Amino acid sequence: MNRKPTRSSIDSSRAELASVPLAATVPFDSDAAADLNELQAAGLAIMRNVETVIDGKHEAVQIALTVLLAEGHLLIEDVPGVGKTMLAKALARSVDCTVGRIQFTPDLLPSDVTGVSVFNQAERRFEFKPGPVFANIVIGDEINRASPKTQSALLESMEERQVTVDGITYPLALPFTVIATQNPIEMEGTYALPEAQRDRFMARISMGYPDSDSELAMLDSRDTGSPLALISAVVSGETLRDMMLTARAVYASAAVKEYAVNLVRATRDDRDLRLGASPRATLQLIRAAKAQAALSGRDYVLPDDIDSLAVAVLGHRLVPTSRALGHHHQDSGPVIDDIVRRILADTPVPVGGGASARSVPAVRAVPPRPVGPTGTS
Amino acid sequence: MTSLATKPVPLPVPLPVPLPVSRPAPSPRVPRVRRGGRDAALWPLAISLLLLLLICCAALGPLLRGSAWWWVSALVGAAVLLGSALFRRLGLPRPIVPVANAVVLVGTMTLLFSGGTGLFWLIPTPQTIGTFTELVAAGGASIAQQSTPAEVTVGILFLLAGGTGLIAVLMDLLAVTLRWPALGAAGALVPLLAPGFIIDDGAELAALVVAAIAFLLLLRVDVYVRRAQEQTTSATGPRASRAPRRRGPGPIGGALVVGSLAIVGALILSTVAPAFTAGGLVTARPGGLLFGRGVSPMINLGQDLRRPKAGPAFHYTSTGTEQPYFTLLTLDEVIGLNWTARIDGANTRNTVDDIQRPFGLDTTVETVDASTSIVIDGVNSHWLPAPARATSIEGLTGRWYWDSRTRAIASTTANTLGQNYTVSSLEIKPTADQLRESSTDYPASVLGNLQLPVNRPPIVDETARQVTADTATSYDAAIALQTYLRSSAFTYDTQAPVEDGYDGGGLDVIGVFLQEKRGYCVHFAATMAAMARSLGIPSRVSLGYLPGVKSQDLEQGRGRYDVDSHDLHAWPELYFVGIGWVKFEPTPGRGTVPNYEQTVDADTPTALPGGAASTSAPGLGADRLADDSALERGASAQGADTSNLLGIIGLSVLGLLVLLLPAAARRMLRRSRLRRIRSAGGGAGLAWTELQHTSLDHGLVVPVTETPRAFAGRLERLGTLDPASTEALERVLLAVERSRFDRTPARGDTLAADLTLVLRALHAGASVCIRLRATFAPTSLFASLGAVLRGERHTGALAP
Repeated sequence: MNRKPTRSSIDSSRAELASVPLAATVPFDSDAAADLNELQAAGLAIMRNVETVIDGKHEAVQIALTVLLAEGHLLIEDVPGVGKTMLAKALARSVDCTVGRIQFTPDLLPSDVTGVSVFNQAERRFEFKPGPVFANIVIGDEINRASPKTQSALLESMEERQVTVDGITYPLALPFTVIATQNPIEMEGTYALPEAQRDRFMARISMGYPDSDSELAMLDSRDTGSPLALISAVVSGETLRDMMLTARAVYASAAVKEYAVNLVRATRDDRDLRLGASPRATLQLIRAAKAQAALSGRDYVLPDDIDSLAVAVLGHRLVPTSRALGHHHQDSGPVIDDIVRRILADTPVPVGGGASARSVPAVRAVPPRPVGPTGTS
Repeated sequence: MTSLATKPVPLPVPLPVPLPVSRPAPSPRVPRVRRGGRDAALWPLAISLLLLLLICCAALGPLLRGSAWWWVSALVGAAVLLGSALFRRLGLPRPIVPVANAVVLVGTMTLLFSGGTGLFWLIPTPQTIGTFTELVAAGGASIAQQSTPAEVTVGILFLLAGGTGLIAVLMDLLAVTLRWPALGAAGALVPLLAPGFIIDDGAELAALVVAAIAFLLLLRVDVYVRRAQEQTTSATGPRASRAPRRRGPGPIGGALVVGSLAIVGALILSTVAPAFTAGGLVTARPGGLLFGRGVSPMINLGQDLRRPKAGPAFHYTSTGTEQPYFTLLTLDEVIGLNWTARIDGANTRNTVDDIQRPFGLDTTVETVDASTSIVIDGVNSHWLPAPARATSIEGLTGRWYWDSRTRAIASTTANTLGQNYTVSSLEIKPTADQLRESSTDYPASVLGNLQLPVNRPPIVDETARQVTADTATSYDAAIALQTYLRSSAFTYDTQAPVEDGYDGGGLDVIGVFLQEKRGYCVHFAATMAAMARSLGIPSRVSLGYLPGVKSQDLEQGRGRYDVDSHDLHAWPELYFVGIGWVKFEPTPGRGTVPNYEQTVDADTPTALPGGAASTSAPGLGADRLADDSALERGASAQGADTSNLLGIIGLSVLGLLVLLLPAAARRMLRRSRLRRIRSAGGGAGLAWTELQHTSLDHGLVVPVTETPRAFAGRLERLGTLDPASTEALERVLLAVERSRFDRTPARGDTLAADLTLVLRALHAGASVCIRLRATFAPTSLFASLGAVLRGERHTGALAP
């Protein structure tokens, strides 16, 4: 019996696994199960660490961690002062690895990001001085304030995971994750990221304003000093790499993959979208879902994982039609989110296990109603 | 967050797979409703209203001939109801719609009945209103003249169509505008119940059942429309993002249950209660309920006679020389073609305390003062049964008046129930010679009793002339008529006229009766009176009671006579100058033939109660015979009642079985699934299917776009699951998730037990209404059936 860890069985599972001979067809061995537990514990530790400085943003923190684990890049987009940079820094500090930080300004040059070759007088040759991009976690602050040329220098390195300077190619560190923040487009002195470059980010999240309780708590806890000083690493870089490998090994069934493909295809056919999501989006959606499943202690992906990540993973890649924007011309974010939610609500969840039949007759004419006097639906 | 969401994490601070908060409340697809907007949903309501109305109209069938009237009524009803739905679809303001309906009704009626007097055929003109008034009058007259089943004249058609249209307007107002569908359907009850008041058989069971089904359908459609509207408002309204408003099933489910109970109750009552067969001369309220006083008292009398069981009317003792006929009322005018009583309010000065002696009575005619003490047992009427030529009445309560022309005794305020009174009356003993010698120099007061309508059937005059061809005097002519009608050519039959549609005493009926030669007292009396008038003899028809039968008991030392409702009778009276109104008895087998040939001297000495009884013995014997046959009829009717009852019970049982069929099928399906799950023949997928179907039965929609986890979360948030069943639900959920999305499907041994636990908790947590619906009308079963019928794959055949 290959029991997956659950709340009730997790403690007994190891003993059981030791006694029960595993079938050869089960690829996930006891080590992997242990890895999964370690991953979950480590993930939880990172989250708790980050949440000591970020109050009331559980979902944002979780998605950020998921992206980190899925080896993707994260774009945090919101108005100034809500803790974008704080989240990025806290996440980076929680892991014991190299952190690079680039503050993007209009006069920043591409070489300021990638590094430059400097002539070494003593050795009489050019010597490469790596830029801040040569780090495990790179924080790109206010990325949309830099010129497009500089932006693309970072974005190319994000995709290719290498930097070429003067004909010489330097591979970047592994793991390599960029956490970029940006202000909404309408802010002054900004250059919007082009669609093609937004596509490089696995997910985009918004912090949003904290609720009043969180804001009050923040006043009490952070009016003195930098809270970041309180944060120390809880996970080593090595562990993070292991966690990434474990997350990669999570199983995504054909049904779940089909679901992801259906969702992405639906964005391409949607009447309210001018530009749908790319195949890269499908790939990253599945990757993120795997990381999320692993963080939940599961070694298989559920459609629920896809659902909970769809807005973050797909949203920034989509371009709504001007008709769909309507009077929201200034800000496409909420419109896009609504469109993704609608697509989610309209896409049937596949029934796995080899059966393609619907499990329940489609009852269209009967609207929902509560089941009992205390029911809510 | 629910415990479900925290499930996979054994650590104190959860790192959940968030229940998809980014996902809106699952939107079940109801494109039809959404697309059409809320008012499009009113079409089903209009159509089910129309269905109910048409079915109820059809219940009038036993009263009317042919079926054309139904189509016309259906046309008018459909115009109003469908027009109303159209108005709503076009967005007419709610308060205006009923007015628009009324306009449609008027327009349709003008189109159909104005005979082209309307402007553009549709808009009524003053001329049209005149036409309509005439039609109403003509319709009323036709109803008054005819017995059931009636020939549908244009007038009746007008009244029917107009009535249907009015009911339709009313139904629409109540059911759609005010949203009281149960009340709205009450309008349709009018045609449904009408036959019960007019004819004995009452409303037909089949009609009631079909109407009940239509009524239930209406309630169901209303529920559907309400839900669709709520759905639309919550989907497009400002609160779209909010969770749908919590709503108890109370009002809707309650309406359904109450409506069903009311129908069942009405069904039982209508088959059992005698109220449906009420109606008649002395038991129904005078004036009747539906067609007003137009229904002739003669028809009512027939109804009383046809009652299978006779009820006691009154009993009396008399000092007279013979047992008297008791007159209730006298029909002395022919209006239109009908015999009519003078029911224009009694003269308030003619109270019973001061009754004049009959005038114009020749002193040579022997009279006997008789005193009759009457105790009313069951007569409920404004007309007082009393022997003819009453001279004083004592012991009455209430204000009673006597009619100076017919000497009938009536009250406008009191009735006969419980009265105990003594009537002094004058028996007259004219001899045959006195009658023969009576002159034809009639006083002006009786000249009205000679009138006959010009359009009477010619057979009346022809027959009268033939029968009396060789008679010289009025009296001989009267005897000849009486003998002719009592001859074997005629048969006493209370049923035939009703079955063949010539009930009543109208002159048109008399024409038919003289050919058919079957009928009962009303026909014989009216026929003789009419023929007498055609010969120039003043005549009238009296309605009342035969003398009844002698009881075993004695009262105050005299013989007591009992009169029951089968003694109701009609007889003609002819006027002879110097003698007054003289009664005859043309009905074969009923009553006593007055023997005017007897000499006064010969009769008087034997004028003792016993003797009188023996005198009328032959007549009474015949009467008893008739009663016996009546008894037999009653017995056979009783037998029919029993078999009817058996039929009803059988039908009910059958209906009950049919109603239980879905419940049984659903139960069997559930058991078979559980068995397969237990025996490892079916896996978690099957368990999940059963869970979803059960939820569907309990009114929870299971959209295909919802993940198992989201659905389970929804179930938990209902708050009806206890901790044990919540854990069971989580185990089932884990099993189905792993079977669908993991590498190797795992199945726990407790799957069937867990599923059973969850299903029970789900059922127990629902309200009574929903439980009933889930048990007896399982939605999933019908939906699966529909899927199969649509050619989709059978949903039960799921791979595990």
